[in-house]
Parts: sequence; C-alpha cells; structure tokens
Amino acid sequence: MGTNVYGFPLLSLIAYLPLIGAIILLFMKKEEEKKIMQTAFAVSIVTLAVSLLLIPGFDSTTSEMQFTEQHTWIPSLGVSYAFGIDGISLLLIVMTTIISSIAIVSSYTAINMRIKEYYVSILFLETGMLGVFMSMDFFLFYIFWEVMLVPMYFMIGIWGGGRRLYSAIKFFLYTLFGSLFMLLGILAVYFLNADPQYGSGQYTFSVLELQKMNLPLHPLQFWLFLAFFLGFAIKVPMFPFHTWLPDAHTDAPTAGSVLLAGVLLKMGTYGFVRFCLPMFPEASVYFMPYMAGLSLVGIVYGALVALAQKDIKRLVAYSSVSHLGFVMLGIFALNTHGITGGILQMVNHGVSTGALFLIVGMIYERRHTRLIADFGGLSSKMPIYSAVFAVTMFSSMGLPGLNGFVGEFLILVGAFEANKIYAGIAVIGIILGAAYMLWLFQRMMFGPLDKPENQKILDMNRREIAYMAPLIVFMFWIGLFPRPFIRVMEPAVEKIVQRLKGAGAMAKQESEEKSVEVISKNDKTVIAARIDPEKGMID
Amino acid sequence: MIPLSYYVTVSTMMFVIGLVGILIRKNFLIILFSIELMLNAANINLVAFSHHFGEVDGQVISLFIITVAAAEAAVGLAIIIVLFRRKATTNVDELNLMKW
Amino acid sequence: MTPIMPDIQLIAIFPESILAIFACALFVMDPFIARDKKEQLGYFSLAGLCVSGVSTLFLWGKSISTFSGMIALDNYALFFKTLFLMISALIILMSIRYIKIERINLGEYYGLILFATIGMMFMPSATDLLSFYLSLELMSMSLYVLAAFMRKDPKSIEGGIKYFLTGVFSSGLILYGVAFLFGATGTTNLGEIAAFLQENGVTSSLSLIMAFVLLITGFGFKISAVPFHMWAPDVYEGSPTPVTAFLSAGSKAAAFSVMLRVFINAFALSSGNWWPVLWVIAVLTMTLGNLVALVQTNMKRLLAYSSIAHAGYLMIGLITASQIGYAAILIYLVGYVFMTLGAFTLIILLCSANMKGDQISDFKGLARTNPMLGLVFIIFALSLIGIPPSAGFVGKLYLFNSAIQGGFYWLAIIGILNSVVSLYYYFRVVQVMYMDEPNAGTVLSFSPTLKVALGITAFLTLFLGLYPEPIIKAAIDSVQIFL
Repeated sequence: MGTNVYGFPLLSLIAYLPLIGAIILLFMKKEEEKKIMQTAFAVSIVTLAVSLLLIPGFDSTTSEMQFTEQHTWIPSLGVSYAFGIDGISLLLIVMTTIISSIAIVSSYTAINMRIKEYYVSILFLETGMLGVFMSMDFFLFYIFWEVMLVPMYFMIGIWGGGRRLYSAIKFFLYTLFGSLFMLLGILAVYFLNADPQYGSGQYTFSVLELQKMNLPLHPLQFWLFLAFFLGFAIKVPMFPFHTWLPDAHTDAPTAGSVLLAGVLLKMGTYGFVRFCLPMFPEASVYFMPYMAGLSLVGIVYGALVALAQKDIKRLVAYSSVSHLGFVMLGIFALNTHGITGGILQMVNHGVSTGALFLIVGMIYERRHTRLIADFGGLSSKMPIYSAVFAVTMFSSMGLPGLNGFVGEFLILVGAFEANKIYAGIAVIGIILGAAYMLWLFQRMMFGPLDKPENQKILDMNRREIAYMAPLIVFMFWIGLFPRPFIRVMEPAVEKIVQRLKGAGAMAKQESEEKSVEVISKNDKTVIAARIDPEKGMID
Repeated sequence: MIPLSYYVTVSTMMFVIGLVGILIRKNFLIILFSIELMLNAANINLVAFSHHFGEVDGQVISLFIITVAAAEAAVGLAIIIVLFRRKATTNVDELNLMKW
Repeated sequence: MTPIMPDIQLIAIFPESILAIFACALFVMDPFIARDKKEQLGYFSLAGLCVSGVSTLFLWGKSISTFSGMIALDNYALFFKTLFLMISALIILMSIRYIKIERINLGEYYGLILFATIGMMFMPSATDLLSFYLSLELMSMSLYVLAAFMRKDPKSIEGGIKYFLTGVFSSGLILYGVAFLFGATGTTNLGEIAAFLQENGVTSSLSLIMAFVLLITGFGFKISAVPFHMWAPDVYEGSPTPVTAFLSAGSKAAAFSVMLRVFINAFALSSGNWWPVLWVIAVLTMTLGNLVALVQTNMKRLLAYSSIAHAGYLMIGLITASQIGYAAILIYLVGYVFMTLGAFTLIILLCSANMKGDQISDFKGLARTNPMLGLVFIIFALSLIGIPPSAGFVGKLYLFNSAIQGGFYWLAIIGILNSVVSLYYYFRVVQVMYMDEPNAGTVLSFSPTLKVALGITAFLTLFLGLYPEPIIKAAIDSVQIFL
C-alpha cells in the first residue's frame, strides 16, 4: 500500500479541480468572454497551487506510492478507485499543471471564436492528463487515457488550421487503435493474474498487484509487451507509428500543440516506464535491442526530416519525434542513468518544446504565416523575442547550462553503458538537432530584414513575457541545479532497475545455457553488433 | 401404417415449394400463400412426429400454429391493402424506394 | 374421477397479465377518447408499464417453472422483463410528440406497443418450443403493423412489407426447425432436449442437423446477422422513428434473450462445438455492418448498420459459451439499449412539420445552436464506439474479457478493429454537429416527454459506465441458471 500524509484525497482534488472548473464554465453565458478566460485561468492556477502542495509532503527516500487513495468501485470486476504517485508521476503532474496554466494564458488572443467551448475543452483535457499520471488501477487509467482523446479531437478540429478535420480524425483513429490493443493487453494481464501460477490468484485491475506477476517470457510476456507497446508507441510516437504527429501538431491551435507535445506525448513514455518495464521485465530485456533500434531511427530520421521542413511548426513537430527518440533510448538502456535521463528529459522536452510551440504561436499571431521563407532578420525588430527564442533553442539543442543538456547527458551515459554503438548514433542525432535549430534561428532571426510585412512587427508584450518566464526559469534551473528533480525520482527508478536486473540475471542464465559462444567485452562488442541483451545490465 | 419418412418427404416438398415461392414470385398474395405452405409443412411434420412418438405435444403445437398462421394472414392482408390503396399494385418488385 | 389440476402458477405471468389487462382496457377506451387527446392513452400505457415494472421487482429472486414446464420465472427472465418494460416506457415517451407530428396519432399505436412488450416479456421466460415460438410471433405481429404504421408514407409501407415478408419467412424457418427438433428428440421442453443431447450427442441424427441449420438461419434473420441482414436497413429507414428504435433495441434484446435459452439448452452451446459456424457469422456481421455504415448518409440507416454490427459483437458472447460470455451479453445489451434509444431520440427531435429529420445533413451545426444536444450525442457516440466512461465501454470490456478468457484472441482483435472503424462514422456525425454551419430553419420539436427520455438515456449511459456494479451483479446472477 502507500502512505497518505495529508489524510485527505489531495490527488483526487487535483485531478477533478479542472473538471469542476469546466462544469462551472458550462453554466456561464458564452458572451461573457473575458470572464470565461479569467475563470479558466483561475481554475488552472488553483490546480497548480494545489499540486505544489504535493511537493513538501512527498518523501523522497522511499519508492512506495504516496498520497494513495483506495476505494472499491466495481467489486465484481476487481476494479478499485486507486490513485497514487511516486517520484516519476510527481514530476509529470506538476509539469502538467504548469504547462496547462501557461497554455490557457497563451490562448487569450489566439482564440477568438467559440471561446467557452475552447476553455471547457482545455480543462477537460487537463483532468484527463492528470488522471492518467495518478491512476493506480488499470480500469481507471484506461478511462482517463481515452477521455483525453475527445477534447483534443475537438481542439484540433474546431480551432485548428490547415487540414484540421483530417488531422483531428487521424489523431483520434490512430491513437484509439493503439489504445484498444493496450486494452486487450490489460485484459490479458487481468485474466492471467487470476491464475495462481502467474499472479495473486484473484481478479484485480490494481496496478500494484499486477506488477508483482510472474510471467514466462515466451509466449506470454512477448505478446503482452507487444500489445502494450502498440498502445504506447503510437502515443510517444515512435517510428514508424509517428505519422499522425506532424499533421496533428501542425494543424492544432498553439495551446493544443503545447499540450500535445508537452504532456500527451509523455504519456506514451510514462506508460513504458510505469507499466512495460515493471510488469514485463524479461520482455523488456529481450526487446531492448529492437526498442533501442527504433529509438535511434526516430532520433536520426526525425532530425533529418526536421532539417528539410519549410513550416516552422512542422519542423518543431519532427524535432519532437527526435527528442522523444532520445527519451525512449534512455528508458530502454535499462539502467539507472538511462532511465533517470529519460524521465528528466520528459520534463525537459515538455518545457522546451512547449516553449518552442509558444514561440511559433506568437509569431503566427502576428504574421499569420508559418513559412520560414516569410521571415528573416527579425532580431532587429524583436530583441526580447530573439533572446527568448535563443534560450529555448539552446535548451532544445542540449547546450550545457540549460536543461536539455542534463537529460541528454544522462541518456548518453546510460546508452553508452548499454552499448557503445547506441551512444554513437545518438550523438549524430544531437549534432543534427543543433543543425536544424541553428539554421532555423538564423533564417528567421538573422539576415536582412527584407520582407516589408516584417517591418512593423511587435515585440513580446507583457502577457507573453509573463507566460514564457516560468519556462525559461525552469530551463535554467534544471540545467544548473538538477539535483532536486533527480532526487525525487531516484527511489522509483531504483526499484525499476532492480526488477530489471533480476530479469536480466534470469535472461543471462537462460541465454548462457542456450548459447555456445562467450561474448567478450571490449572490441568483440562491436563485432557482436547483433546486440546481446545482457549488456544492458552492467551498471 | 404409413411410414414416417413419407410424411417428412411430403412436408419437405411442401416446404421447399413454399420457400421457392417466396423467393421467386412477385405477387404479394402468392407470397402469402407460399408462407402458408411453409407453415403447413411444419404442421404436417409436427403431427407426423407426434403420431410417431405417440405423444400429443406435436399436435397441440399444430393447433396453435394454425391460429398463428391465420393471424399472420390477417396482418399480411391488412398491410397489402395499405399498399394497394396507395399504388394500385400488388407487385412486390415495385417496392424499390430504398436501396443501399 | 377427480379432475387433474393443471400445473399453473399464475404468479409466473403476473407482470404480463397486468400489462395485458392494461392493453385490452386501452383498446376499449380508445373509441371514447377524442382524436386529438390520444396521448392520454400514452400516459395510460405508461402507467401500465410502471405497475408491471413494480411487480417484476417484487418477484426478483423467485425461481418457478410452471405451465407444465413451458414458462419459467427466474432471475434471468426478470432481468429481461425489467429491461423490456424500460424500453417500452422510453419508446412511449419518445412517441407521444412524434406521432402527433406525423399524424398517426392513434390509440392503436400504444396498444400495439403494449402487446409487443407482452410478447417480448414472455420470450426470456419460455422454456418450451411452443411458448418461445408463440411469444416470438406475438411480438413480431405487433411490430409488423407498427412498421407500416405511417400509411401515407410510401417508405413506411415498403418497410412494413419488407419486414413482414422477411419476418414471417424467418418464423417459418424457425417453426420448421422446431418441428424437426421435436421429431429428433421427442419432446418440446428445452430442458429435456438438453438432457437428450447430453446422452445422444449433438449430431446424432439428420433431423437434428436440419433443425439446427433452420434455427440458426431463422434466428439469424431476427437479429439481422449477416448474411440475413438485408431487411434491416430498409425497415429501419422506412418505419416511424420510435418504431425503429423499438425494433433496434427491443426486438434485438428479445431475440438474444430467447437465443440464449434455446441455444444453451437445445443446442448444447456450452459443450463448445458450435463456435466455427458462429465465429464466421459474427465476424461477417461485425465487419459488414461497420464497413457499410461508413458510406451512409441517412442517419437511421447508419444506425441500422451500426446495430447490425452490434449484433456481431453480442455474438462474441455466444461464441465463448462461458458464464462470463453470457453475462457479457446481458451487460452489453443493457448499455446497448440505452445508447441506441438515446441516439434515436435525437433523430426524433429533429422531426418537425416540414422536415423528416433523418438525414445526417439535418444535424449540421446542431451542437452550436444547442450545446446540450451536442454533449448528449457525444456521450452516445462514445458509448457506441466503446470508449470510456460509458456503458458501451463496460459492455465491450466484458465481451472482450470473455473472448480472451475463452482463448478467442483473433475474435477480440477483430472486435477491436471494428470498434476503431466505427469511430469514423460516428465522429463524422459529431463533426457535422460541431463543425458545420447550422441549417437555417431547423426547428427542434422538444416536448417534455422527449426531454425526459433523452435525459434518462443519456444519464444512464454515462452512469452505468461509471458505476456498472448493480447491472454486473444482476447479470452474473441471472446466468447462474445456465450452470
């Protein structure tokens, strides 16, 4: 079980505050636009404040679930209403509340039709996102997971641009497809748990119970891992399931893209860390080469395609694919450094790519175009914007001193420990990342100011500075003092790594019994590029 | 004694005739007759089996079926009258307003 | 000679008797009520349904077999009886305004609905070949007339004729199958047939095989499974919309309730040899229903094809032939009933003096003029696709659960793929409602009863998704009889 310091359901409060806000908004008249925007913002700030209350009450020394709430809900099915967080979720929850508030503020001038419905959708979305990170019961998790799809569909479809209807339904269909396969996996796990050979012998959807299961690698863990993989990989998105992302990101309104990139994509990676690794450790070890391979392809492919883009938003979208490839590489390095780096990079990506989308949004609001060719030499007219853009860009590239570097460094260390080749290829991704970002910045900000429309462009106003500021602060904070963030997630990550080590030892035994040749460590590693799973276990 | 198989053969033939009638004929009244043929084929079957087993169950069911058939015929005729009043035809093929 | 007392316990048919009394009283009262006040008969029949419903609640927990084993009263039957009563009550609420607008405001309408309900209520109780056939016919007769009720509308007539012809055709097939079943086993009681099959095996004689083929075909027509589904879209499109809703929800639920009893007893379904045939039918049904729905422009036809697809999902429970599969059918049916009735209520709302309201384009911009309706439709769409939190999700969860537990992985995967496909056409309607410009001059014919019906269905669809416990318990309880 877990501990609950405050004694009252803080997590439920955090999760449902936005929902209550949405319902309040539903009752307001749609003409009172200013009031609606202010109420939405107020609700999100309150949620943020309440979520900050989690931090002091959080015990960083234990990997137990904290702030737990547990009630039986559907006893016939073994479903309980269970919330709980550990270090990983804590980081993601606070990040979500912060980004949601910023998204709401940033929409003030960007959205000028059907305002009430827009803010209702954002608040619904926030509830869904928070619920996913808190759920400790699969049924509950699945509900929140799916609930997110509808508001996002509407945000893209109604307030988006370009081929918004196409992108919206593509997003919905693709993600639903993956989640339904995940549902099959959940049901299979639920069913297998009732078999005393594998699990506790009862029918339950509780995540903690199901994490204790003991499944053989073939065929069970193999297929179950794949089922969950499909659901999460589409969300991340991993190559080759990423095709929904550029369309959805490009055609969504700014706040939609911010939330999509900042939070929704993290759910895929969170799912891998929270469910796949603990529940299917042997399968994770087994699939590690393939996962690492796909991640590397994502890193390099995403970066290369980003380099070729003419639309700023699409470029940032592909950069997301590349960055999340890094996160996945870190996670599937299956060691402490890698996983820590992966999770930290999740937060970092939320901050920096969120900031990037906001920056794109600002320029779009002014000029109503997103083609790079329409810009040039803006830095002379918009100095503050240039500075902010520069910091964000460096953060996204991974410049030391900013947050991106810490995450990428840890991931590279982890990948290097797993297999030096991975790290080598990953570095190529970093170089490419620098390339497209710098080139973008140069094309937009430097050079001659030759387009007449750009002459009268306004710099950032107070509101925009106000909402970019927290993100910039975090970029520096995590970059220079990452210790508090890492400390929070240490125990949880350790627990996962221990489980993986145990599985790795078993896998090692199995393959030692099977394979005839002995793989030596140094140069032969390169030759044995038919990657060996045990390598991931060396810490 | 007439063997059971004779009865079943007759009833099967009736059933098939009725079936084909429903599928092929265009006049609604003929289709109704074919339906009656099918129901009566089942009746023959039931009575024959009932006689074979020496039980009364089948014959009881038969009596009920006759009633049901009568009711069906009434409903069917009522519906065709409605159609006839509208379109002066009993040809089923002319009902083609709704396709795919 | 003492007369032999027949084995009759009238308590077993108490709910139906009450309803029959109300129905007959209704027909007697009908000539005395003024032509424009016929909705009083509607309220009267609602009262009858309520009284009958109360009596079913009192009877919960009993287990009686009476009328020489023809009628059984147990939790399974009571579960369905309550469901049918609720369906009829919602249909009457939906109809009151509609039949006034379509100028078919006749007292016989309510009477026929009551009789159809009586037929439906007898169906899950039937434990004998005769009683299930008679109850099936009672329901069907009433529905044939109801389908053709709009006498002046050519589509309604056409729908009525098509429904009549396919209906009696399938009844004929079922009857012939019943005859052969009787001939092969020597008894008409379902329980005794089950015992016979246990001893002698399912394929022990040619008559048995004939019987099974005919019965599956006949029932296939009734639940509009592929390839016996051709009647459904035309009939659904032509009939008056409340009747379509009744057909879609009530007749399908009733057919499944009977199928469970007949298949489990007379076919020895639980012995597990039936799944190849049923598998093919189920997969075809799900897939064809969903694929053809993608191209529809008429809302009623779209819902017809979607209900064909749902019949396919329900058959998954039959294929798995386990306790949890049967319970899943019941749970899914409850959710299915409410979501379908809700969706049809929205169509009825659009029907007004100058517009039929059944094309998808009539829904344009509806959510912008009336956000509540948009929200309500989203709830129904989510439930129909199987996205939480909704009753449809819980039902699908149970169905897929039973498929996985039975080892039918491919069936579950096909079910999932079909759910994804169904997303597309439901959300096409959502898209039209939310993102298109509203039609000028769309008049919504709200009436208090319609609002109540919409409210109840929407609330239950959402509520049962969040708190399905009572339904699940009741369903598991009910299928205990099949152990």
